[in-house]
Amino acid sequence: MADSYLVEPDVKFVKQLKAMGGDTLKKCYQCATCSVVCPISPEERPFPRKEMIAAQWGLKDKLVGNMDVWLCHQCNDCSTYCPRGARPGDVLNAVRGMSITEYAWPSWLGRIVQDWRFFWLLLAIPVAFFLVLLGATGYLKIPDGEIEFAKFFPTLLVDIVFVPLATLWLPVTFGIGLSRFISAIHKNAVAEGKAKRKDVNVPDFLKSLVCTVPTVLGHSKFSQCTANKDRYVPHLLVFYSFIGLFVVTNAFFVALYILQVPGPYAQWNPFKILANVSAIALLVGVIMMIRNRIGNKDNASKTSYFDWYLLLLVLGLVLTGGLSELTRLAHLTTVAYPIYFAHLVFVFCLFAYLPYSKLAHLVYRTVAMAYSRYAGREPCE
Amino acid sequence: MDKKLGVYICKGCGIEDALDMEKLEKKVPPKIKICKNHPILCSPEGVDLIKQDIAGEGVNTVVIAACSRRVLYDVFDFGPVIVERVNLREGVVWSHKPQEAPAEGEGPQVDEFIQEMAEDYLRMGLAEAERILPPEPYKEETIDKKIMVLGGGVSGLSAAMEAAKAGYEATVIEKGPQVGGFAAKMRKQTPWSHPYEELQEPVVEQLIKEAEAHPKIEIRTGIEVARIAGAPGIFDITLKPAGAKSAWDIPEPVEEVEGAEAPPQPPGADEATPDNPANILAKNPDAERFGAIILATGWKPWEPKEEAEEPAQAEESAQAEGEGEEAKAKEPSYEHLGLGKLPNVVTNVALEEMAAQGKILRPSDGKPAASVAFVQCRGQGSDEDFPYASSVTSMVALKQAKYVREDGAADAKAYIFYQHMRTPGLTEYFYKSAQQDDGIFLTKGDVVGVSGNGDGTLVLEANDTLLGEKIKVSVDMVVLGTGMVPITKDEAVLNFAYRQGPGFRDLDLFDGYPDSNFICFPYETRRTGIYVAGCARRAMGIQECREDAAGAALKAIQCIESANRGVAVHPRSGDMTFPDFFFQRCTQCKRCTEECPFGALDDDEKGTPLPNPTRCRRCGTCMGACPERIVGFADYNIDSIGSMVKAIEVPEEEEKPRVLILACENDAYPALDMVGMKGLSYSPFVRIIPVRCLGSVNVVWIKDALSKGVDGILTIGCKFGDDYQCHFVKGSELLDIRMDKIGEALKSLALEKERVQQVQIAIDEYDKIPGIIDEFMATIEEVGPNPFKGF
Repeated sequence: MADSYLVEPDVKFVKQLKAMGGDTLKKCYQCATCSVVCPISPEERPFPRKEMIAAQWGLKDKLVGNMDVWLCHQCNDCSTYCPRGARPGDVLNAVRGMSITEYAWPSWLGRIVQDWRFFWLLLAIPVAFFLVLLGATGYLKIPDGEIEFAKFFPTLLVDIVFVPLATLWLPVTFGIGLSRFISAIHKNAVAEGKAKRKDVNVPDFLKSLVCTVPTVLGHSKFSQCTANKDRYVPHLLVFYSFIGLFVVTNAFFVALYILQVPGPYAQWNPFKILANVSAIALLVGVIMMIRNRIGNKDNASKTSYFDWYLLLLVLGLVLTGGLSELTRLAHLTTVAYPIYFAHLVFVFCLFAYLPYSKLAHLVYRTVAMAYSRYAGREPCE
Repeated sequence: MDKKLGVYICKGCGIEDALDMEKLEKKVPPKIKICKNHPILCSPEGVDLIKQDIAGEGVNTVVIAACSRRVLYDVFDFGPVIVERVNLREGVVWSHKPQEAPAEGEGPQVDEFIQEMAEDYLRMGLAEAERILPPEPYKEETIDKKIMVLGGGVSGLSAAMEAAKAGYEATVIEKGPQVGGFAAKMRKQTPWSHPYEELQEPVVEQLIKEAEAHPKIEIRTGIEVARIAGAPGIFDITLKPAGAKSAWDIPEPVEEVEGAEAPPQPPGADEATPDNPANILAKNPDAERFGAIILATGWKPWEPKEEAEEPAQAEESAQAEGEGEEAKAKEPSYEHLGLGKLPNVVTNVALEEMAAQGKILRPSDGKPAASVAFVQCRGQGSDEDFPYASSVTSMVALKQAKYVREDGAADAKAYIFYQHMRTPGLTEYFYKSAQQDDGIFLTKGDVVGVSGNGDGTLVLEANDTLLGEKIKVSVDMVVLGTGMVPITKDEAVLNFAYRQGPGFRDLDLFDGYPDSNFICFPYETRRTGIYVAGCARRAMGIQECREDAAGAALKAIQCIESANRGVAVHPRSGDMTFPDFFFQRCTQCKRCTEECPFGALDDDEKGTPLPNPTRCRRCGTCMGACPERIVGFADYNIDSIGSMVKAIEVPEEEEKPRVLILACENDAYPALDMVGMKGLSYSPFVRIIPVRCLGSVNVVWIKDALSKGVDGILTIGCKFGDDYQCHFVKGSELLDIRMDKIGEALKSLALEKERVQQVQIAIDEYDKIPGIIDEFMATIEEVGPNPFKGF
């Protein structure tokens, strides 16, 4: 049997979780209804009952490095059936927020991304940066003639900003965060007896990662939710539209630098069609998400700044992107360029702050799910 | 009194269909001139029929052969006229089916056995009616209506207030230097009003002010009771300064020895002359008179016993270890929790007193306690809480956890380790509010032990918690959730000058609480006129104490007024009869004095009983106990029941056995009625006589029945033992003891022991009755007919 564990409750951590949308956590009286009704919790050492007591006691070390909080998809079936209104699903969401901050590098950036007081500052960073960049290169003016965004913000400048962001910044920051995260969840899983194997084996882990992909692509865990079924479709839409836009971006990058075909591209271009379809799907998806959250349904998830930040960012991204294209086609010169500028600001925010925002769940959850399969907690499908 | 009987037989409710009414009427002896029947006797016309005879013919004893005495008693109430009920409906026609179904075309057939049963009951009813008298109440010359309230805590003061508001004078006697009790030593009170979440300021100060200002309340502090003599309405109470010796102190009782003949006698009591205070019969001319007493002496904190074993004892206990029983009886150890050894381990009582004085500080060095663990259970693998712990203990832990949070910094921590968290009813809201405090941490858990770190900090270890199998917490203080022991457990606070001793009997049955039956008779003790309220009755919170005090005050008032009218207070409320003793034939055997469950009887130097009618509950246990048969009530006595037994006709035919059932009227008789109401049935060879309590069953009735040729006697009464349901506490148990002795007597008459049996039944077990009777009939068939038949 394990040695006795010195419990050191952290009252501050309890307060932080409450502020992040877990304000109901202290209501739990450990009946374990949540663990019983959860459709996706494993049978052995199921969540979220044990996470709830750890949250009540402010046991940060038992929560932030706990893979189980990432296996939760916030269906809120648990919150629907909770006899005390403790909303375990929302509490785990708050824990995930704390977990993202915990492993973020640099950690100060993690903290400010999740703090509403820095929202405008974070937005102002790319604005200022772009203004300086354009000003220094002499482009800070609305160009004449046919609207061509490259005339306003040259493609080279765009790529000077975004290529390092995507290929250096993201891999480094995310890599550091992820490596901390993986070692934490492994340690926690071994300590709590959730891992059937205690060794570290990279090829096996990669195999588990591969077997996780169909689950992620098919949203098969998400689809098991009953209380919050409404969240399945918008999430699927948003997920695939991001994939679509990712494909398009890469394709255009290839077109520009390898095939030497600069944009704008014709509307019948298959990649252009994919881009437009994805944009529409993203818009529909994000609007549905927002509606789900603001509609006063009993089982709706609680929405904190952690959630709003990402929703507003994506909404801003898709609106400015779509409007850039529409205003360009409508030849509205004075509007099109500023909107395009705003679009680039949102894109910057998306990339630069990805490892610190809720969007990081894309990576953390996938890794946790892969680890869960690696450790034998869940089977490969 | 000259009796003029009138017999009225009802034909309704199926009686006419099952019985031959003409034949039945012929069984009324011709000397009784008035014998009438009516299709529905309880109808206005039927009742008028009886009333006309009372008015016109001078009938003063009415025998109604209709339904059970348990129903329509208000319809058949004719003031001073004696009413005897013969139970033909529930007892005969509803509970018995004819042996053979009537042949087709023929009218309803009268079953011979059922007809005989009805005839017997009619004869028995007539026999009883001949022998009973209308009751006359026993009235004391003067009654004092003042109420003495013992204990000046919240319960005592509230009881005094309630009595005073109802117009009765009350005197509060407090042993300590001031009133207020433990409530006056608290910082805050657990909430008693919406939203039941926040701690509230104690009410006790306001209560003290109100009580002190009330013209009908007198408060005396530093006073205790030397002795209580007398009875409800006429209690003569000697008071004395607390802790002082008084000539009127009741001598320490001799240990009650199981099976001993004599009741516990204080030493020297017998030799003392009547004017020597050592004699419990001596009257103190300076005693104060009260009508009833409310016992609100509250509680004291439970503390673990000293565990320092002397070497000799250690050896002994080592020897005893082999014997499982002795090891079991050993007091569980609390040493692992460190109370008394580690200065920062305290009880909840000590913490409350500290909190009322100021901030919570570590006793070892006076530093603020930033983290405190509340331990609610003994731990070390045991599921048990501390002795006498209750919902109050749980609520106090939650309350004190809030103190820790109030006093400390934002990150002050309070842990509660419990096996049982009891927050009944609306107090659940308080539990929730504590639980939702960021710095209060609750878990079920088995506390392994508390150890010191040297610097005053403590480490508490617990197993099987909600957080995992083994955890530790580091805290500044540990508070043990110890329970509240009723003062009555160890102290004879009342000091009765009663022959049965200065305290309450059989307190061990109730862990020292003086209730006589917590569920059925709240506030009632085993001493009439003494009503217990507050934490002396069970552990309760302040608000509950106030409500409880109101209940006890009302009982005390009821008692005084009943004594004033000369009627019984409980449970035979309003009964005007009382036991009458024919002293010329008394042999001073003291059995009545000894057996009375309520200590109603004292005795003089010779041992002649001295009845105290207002202490009496009218169960008749004295009557059942008396070997000389000199005790009886106006409407219930040896002769009235004996003549009913004798009125049973015992046929000589072997196929018509006869069994007498003596059924307790509290549970067994209603259950027998229910058998009829529910359409079940039992043997038609039984004859049932209701009795006040099995304790009132005198063995002479059994002897009479057996010598008459009755084949068996079954007594049915309430459950006895630890979870007794006897309405008079001891009645059914006492009969059981008497029955043991009867067995020997039967043997000497060459009669089988099996012929006389006792069964225990609860009122809701009516469905078991047919089976019980069948089984007994089978036993009787096996042992064969009574050889005395026909003599």
